[in-house]
Amino acid sequence: MAMFDRKRQPPSRTAEALRLESVTKVYGTGDGAVTALDGVTLSLPTGSFTAVMGPSGSGKSTLLQCAAGLDRADQGRILVDGEEMGGGSEAALTKFRRQRIGFIFQQYNLLPTLTVEENTSLPLRLAGRRADPERVRAILTQVGLGRRLGHLPDQLSGGQRQRVAIARALVTRPGVVFADEPTGALDTRSARDVLGLLRETVRVHGSTVVLVTHDPVAASYADTVLFLADGRLAGSLPAPTAEAVAERMTHLGDRVAARHVDDSSLMEV
Amino acid sequence: MLFLALRSVRKRPGRFLATLLSAFLGAVVIMTFSSLHDTAAAPGVDAVSSESMTISAGVVGGYGSLLVFFAIASTLTVSVRQRAEEIHLLRCTGATPAQITRMVVGESAVVALAGTLLAIGPAVLGGRLLLDLFKDSGQVAARIEPAFGAMALGSGFGITLLASVGAAFLAVRRATRAPSGARKRSRGRGRTLAGCAALVAGAGGVLTTYAVDSTEEMLMAFPAYGAILLSVGFAVLAPSLLGRMLQLLSRPLAAVGGAGGYLGARNLRRRGAELAGILMPMIIFTGMATATLYIQGVESDWVTSSGLDKTVDDKNLETLNLVVVGIIVVFSCIMLVNSLYAATSYRRREFGQQRLAGATPGQVLGVVGLEAVILTLTGLFLGTVAGIAGIIPFTTVRTDQVVPDQGPATWLAIMAVATVVTLGTSLGTARRTLRTPAVDAVTVAA
Repeated sequence: MAMFDRKRQPPSRTAEALRLESVTKVYGTGDGAVTALDGVTLSLPTGSFTAVMGPSGSGKSTLLQCAAGLDRADQGRILVDGEEMGGGSEAALTKFRRQRIGFIFQQYNLLPTLTVEENTSLPLRLAGRRADPERVRAILTQVGLGRRLGHLPDQLSGGQRQRVAIARALVTRPGVVFADEPTGALDTRSARDVLGLLRETVRVHGSTVVLVTHDPVAASYADTVLFLADGRLAGSLPAPTAEAVAERMTHLGDRVAARHVDDSSLMEV
Repeated sequence: MLFLALRSVRKRPGRFLATLLSAFLGAVVIMTFSSLHDTAAAPGVDAVSSESMTISAGVVGGYGSLLVFFAIASTLTVSVRQRAEEIHLLRCTGATPAQITRMVVGESAVVALAGTLLAIGPAVLGGRLLLDLFKDSGQVAARIEPAFGAMALGSGFGITLLASVGAAFLAVRRATRAPSGARKRSRGRGRTLAGCAALVAGAGGVLTTYAVDSTEEMLMAFPAYGAILLSVGFAVLAPSLLGRMLQLLSRPLAAVGGAGGYLGARNLRRRGAELAGILMPMIIFTGMATATLYIQGVESDWVTSSGLDKTVDDKNLETLNLVVVGIIVVFSCIMLVNSLYAATSYRRREFGQQRLAGATPGQVLGVVGLEAVILTLTGLFLGTVAGIAGIIPFTTVRTDQVVPDQGPATWLAIMAVATVVTLGTSLGTARRTLRTPAVDAVTVAA
């Protein structure tokens, strides 16, 4: 009965949208083992727009996948909207995800056989919730696609597809929206539109957005930038500008390179 | 481009296995029966022996060629579709459509040659076995020696190669003609025309039965071929028929099946061309097996009841028909399993996307299962219609009844085989596909 009630109501908002406690993820075993995440602890308040940046191989994709429940962390706790992500079956994890987490990917990942409207309402249908057509249309109008409800993804431009993906991510009113390089496949103008739209969802609707990117310009749209290097948090930058982010990234690269040199010299000794 | 073709055959033998298998089996069947032509053409063969051998070689040769063509066409279409990424890459690197066509056609020619070469040994043995069968029944004089020569080799290589090259040409033309990224919507008219032509020809064959004398020995040929052509026609038209039917059914399906029914109905409606590859073998399997088995049953009963002793001729025909049905069953099963496996594993990315949109693995399997059930029902229904269209005229002309005495057991067995194969392959493949984590499934393109 309690389960039933909880399903009916949208999950209640807590002040903390996402919390990671000493999350560790290791790929491979033995000598070939790579520590992708090394005890990452962080907390993101509800209604924040955070960018996660780092050089290639810094663990930012792993961070996103673990935090979003797409991959399992080896150690540590992950809480979304105050609710701990369990280590249950794939089905249990999926149900957790679709209730609390929204996704936006570089490659859109819209279903090619469904129209814009159908794609947007799909998460609701899959969760067995009633897809209110008015609400779906309202969200699509907000992202500027109110007149393309019946189009298939193939008939849309990249920027339009990404906006469908944003609408789809928001339709379930998730606790956190994860965006993985959402502008990676877009031209500058569409990218700017998409980033502006993401910022607007935070400002206007109080959504929480985590943006993983390697583009300083994209990161500058966020309220805060978190830097990641070698699987560890390497500082943050509030109210970022593209220049400041790029500057920090350059030095991050230096530091990582320096550490690698140290490591190899140690190995030789 | 030929070096590319040889390289891809050598490096990715697995991909060509299905094509090789169908080329091999096709060549075995064709050469086994064509070797009867060689045997009959040898000097000193009496007219009776010669005639019985030539007739069966001709009948089965016809069936065989049709089957080989469809089997190879189905496996090739699937393998070309699977390689869309590679073909796109080649085009980006500067390959013209003609060069890609040459590559794919070259590959399938190589595979067909290999399949036929492998088939020579089994076909020689098969030819001997067949001749012994004829000798045992007394239809062919005992002293006749088996031969395996120009006719067998010529038709074996000729038909297999022609079918492969033709099928490859059609498959790749479809893949390269559309500009990359564009949605292939049309080309419905040619398809509809071909389907209608097959239906008309099939109806003609079936109706000709009424014009033939009721005791004519060859009476069976008309309804049998008619049923085959009807099956082919239905198979070609089925996807668009199914699409229209689903348009009406999508609401009730969504109501009954929830999100699974909703997704399943939409997938089927918008994937017409891919479904043709699955429906084709299913309809042909059901139609041909039903028609042949029941017509043969009626024929055997008629021979018994007409007071005549079963002549060696009748016995032979019975054996021959059962052999043909056996061949069809094996072929259609290969085609069905191949197309279903390929079509399902090709959807890995789509399954990943569904999971990322919030579908549990169980829900994805539910969608696949529902699609398979709808496909099976469609295939079995149309196949049964084609089969009955052949059975009833034959029964009416041969006996005084309309419906044959044979019970529904045979039909049920055919349905059961088709259902088990379809559901088993779809769900088994989908299950395996789901083992990949959803994020990886959507990023890995191939």
